[in-house]
Amino acid sequence: MESFVLIKQVPDQSSKAGINSDGTIDRAKAKRMLNPFDRYALEAALQTKRQHGARVTAITMGPPPAIEVLYEAIAHGVDRGFLMTDRRLAASDTLATAYTLAQTVRYAGSPDLIFCGLQTTDGDTAQVGPQLAERLGIPQVTYCEAFEIRDGILLARRAIEGGSQTVTVPLPVLVTVANSAQRLAYPTLRGAQRVQRLMRDEAARAEVIQIINLDDVGADPERCGLKGSPTIVAATEKVGEIGGNCQIFQGQSVPSLVKSLTEAASISSYVGAR
Amino acid sequence: MVQKRVLIFAEQVNGELQPIGLELLGSGRLLADKLGATLSALVLGSNIAHLASTLIGHGADEVFVADHPELAQYRTLPYRRVMTDLIKSWPEPPHTILLGSTTTGRDLAPRLAAHLETGLTADCTDLDIGPFEYSNSKDPSKSGLFRDCLYAIRPSFGESLKARILGPWKNPQMATVRPGVMVPLPWDGSRRGEVFQVPVQLDPSDLSLQIVETVRNLSQTTDLTRAEVIVSGGYGLGSPEGFELMQQLAACFPNSAVGSSRKAVDSGWIPYAHQVGQTGKTVRPQIYIACGISGAIQHRVGMDKSRTIIAINKDSSAPIFKFAHYGIVGDLYQVVPEMIRQLQQNQSQ
Ligand SMILES: Cc1cc2nc3c(=O)[nH]c(=O)nc-3n(C[C@H](O)[C@H](O)[C@H](O)COP(=O)(O)OP(=O)(O)OC[C@H]3O[C@@H](n4cnc5c(N)ncnc54)[C@H](O)[C@@H]3O)c2cc1C
Ligand SMILES: Cc1cc2nc3c(=O)[nH]c(=O)nc-3n(C[C@H](O)[C@H](O)[C@H](O)COP(=O)(O)OP(=O)(O)OC[C@H]3O[C@@H](n4cnc5c(N)ncnc54)[C@H](O)[C@@H]3O)c2cc1C
Repeated sequence: MESFVLIKQVPDQSSKAGINSDGTIDRAKAKRMLNPFDRYALEAALQTKRQHGARVTAITMGPPPAIEVLYEAIAHGVDRGFLMTDRRLAASDTLATAYTLAQTVRYAGSPDLIFCGLQTTDGDTAQVGPQLAERLGIPQVTYCEAFEIRDGILLARRAIEGGSQTVTVPLPVLVTVANSAQRLAYPTLRGAQRVQRLMRDEAARAEVIQIINLDDVGADPERCGLKGSPTIVAATEKVGEIGGNCQIFQGQSVPSLVKSLTEAASISSYVGAR
Repeated sequence: MVQKRVLIFAEQVNGELQPIGLELLGSGRLLADKLGATLSALVLGSNIAHLASTLIGHGADEVFVADHPELAQYRTLPYRRVMTDLIKSWPEPPHTILLGSTTTGRDLAPRLAAHLETGLTADCTDLDIGPFEYSNSKDPSKSGLFRDCLYAIRPSFGESLKARILGPWKNPQMATVRPGVMVPLPWDGSRRGEVFQVPVQLDPSDLSLQIVETVRNLSQTTDLTRAEVIVSGGYGLGSPEGFELMQQLAACFPNSAVGSSRKAVDSGWIPYAHQVGQTGKTVRPQIYIACGISGAIQHRVGMDKSRTIIAINKDSSAPIFKFAHYGIVGDLYQVVPEMIRQLQQNQSQ
């Protein structure tokens, strides 16, 4: 069994470093991290390794430092990684990203399962997974909370509004993993030692992590980056403070506070038995 | 002249239209009027012919109905097939396509966009039509002045910014729209519109995914998007028992629900279904009562369109007082029981 997991490096928005005063991100200065949603995808892929002996491949597309998330994945037990990096990828929207990732997946092999995070914390669109499935012509299960695989069939529970749904679908399939799924365990000692070795030894690294570009995977540059992107971020503006004329009640006895408020807000007209 | 269209996808569950479809019609009507376009609604399901008149009464000029047993419950591939076949049967693609950013819309829209090779903006909270001038030396083919573009506006970077996404180079220009944000048009029974049956031709490969079971355990008190009054509790409740008090206050109103902040959900005090905010639900009730909620931006974006916002917080400098309409500075464990007492008294009078 071959499982692929797609992971993205995102700016760490909880640290102030690299966050401009207008809320935009200075990507050169910002601290970087593995997209938190992708931790659930990693755990799901590793589940197929534990239960079915799957070989797990992690793929990321991004600038050279994105190799860090591949190291992190390997520390958790992923077998090998691909870093798709190319200057021509700048300004990719989700359509261009999904095209590039589809070419990368094809180059890396023919997976039975592809796991994606539900969404990222930077672009935050949740679109890349389904678009990649469309490109590859395979079914998808989004918002997956739990799954098992029996006789080449995925049985999955997905979250929907106000409940859940259980579906079956034959492999191959792309799964986007919800953040209500199983949490990622700690890195293993063996994994961490393996990463240390790879970081020291370039030849060993090259055997485990391939660094590739658009030409390697036969991608059409016209369909990548800015050129291949039908959308652009045209403008951003700061969300302004609204209101600012709250009528505040304080300093009286509680019963009179409540009375003043319910009258001012004319709540009574909504009151009634259920 | 070919017909210009704004197409909205109207979700139904068990033959019942979901509120998002009517919200999309409200927003789509404004866009279609600015464009001089037809507002078209598409609904897929089984035994759903009766839904067309509702969609017309809420603003659609024409309704496309795809009625087939295999479409009874939403599944990605059959729905994707029917929609792309319909769109390709038209001489011109629609100018704009809108879907809800529900679990269904977010599953379907990206597949549709990838199939149509067009742009898609995620989870918008505002839409408009306007001109756009662009030049970029890195891709001169994109340069030019474009009239009548879809402005798709979405919160970004933890909701602190609004990004305006544009893609005027190719139609359809697509967006998913956050539920609870757009305002439906009132029902108008005198509206007239055309109804078309959509031919349904599925490929066996579309049916490889099977639904074993669908469970919806929405109780009335968690259906936040339909409630008139929402009582929300935050970390200031201090313990899960605090939500019993929230429940008691909510029970003073016939059409009410209990909401919460994420911090209360993350603390395990209440299930995720109750969460209001960026990563929870967007609500716009008549009255929103926030108890022990500080008013972080991620919470605010989910509820600041509520008609009346009431905050109860012991810290007078809490950000929630910056955008609430009425507030009490005090301990919620003193204020809320007193409020329940007064409202009950009110009721029995
Ligand atoms: C403010 C802002 C708003 C944007 N809005 C839009 C928009 O509305 N529409 C649009 O088309 N583009 C938009 N973009 C561009 C978008 O962020 C990029 O296309 C990005 O490459 C992928 O989208 P995402 O981060 O939203 O990924 P998502 O679709 O949220 O990611 C889902 C999953 O796909 C996988 N994945 C995504 N990217 C990669 C990667 N580089 N490498 C490996 N796996 C990956 C991961 O498993 C991830 O969890 C926006 C960008 C910004 C900065
Ligand atoms: C990516 C991201 C997404 C997020 N999405 C959401 C989301 O969808 N929804 C959401 O809510 N948050 C979300 N958050 C979290 C958000 O930033 C805040 O952390 C959260 O809203 C705070 O919850 P709170 O107001 O309950 O808690 P706190 O900020 O801790 O506030 C508690 C308040 O209770 C008051 N208080 C304490 N005791 C009492 C008392 N006895 N009587 C009266 N008042 C009292 C305090 O003065 C304080 O103001 C998100 C964050 C991130 C980074």
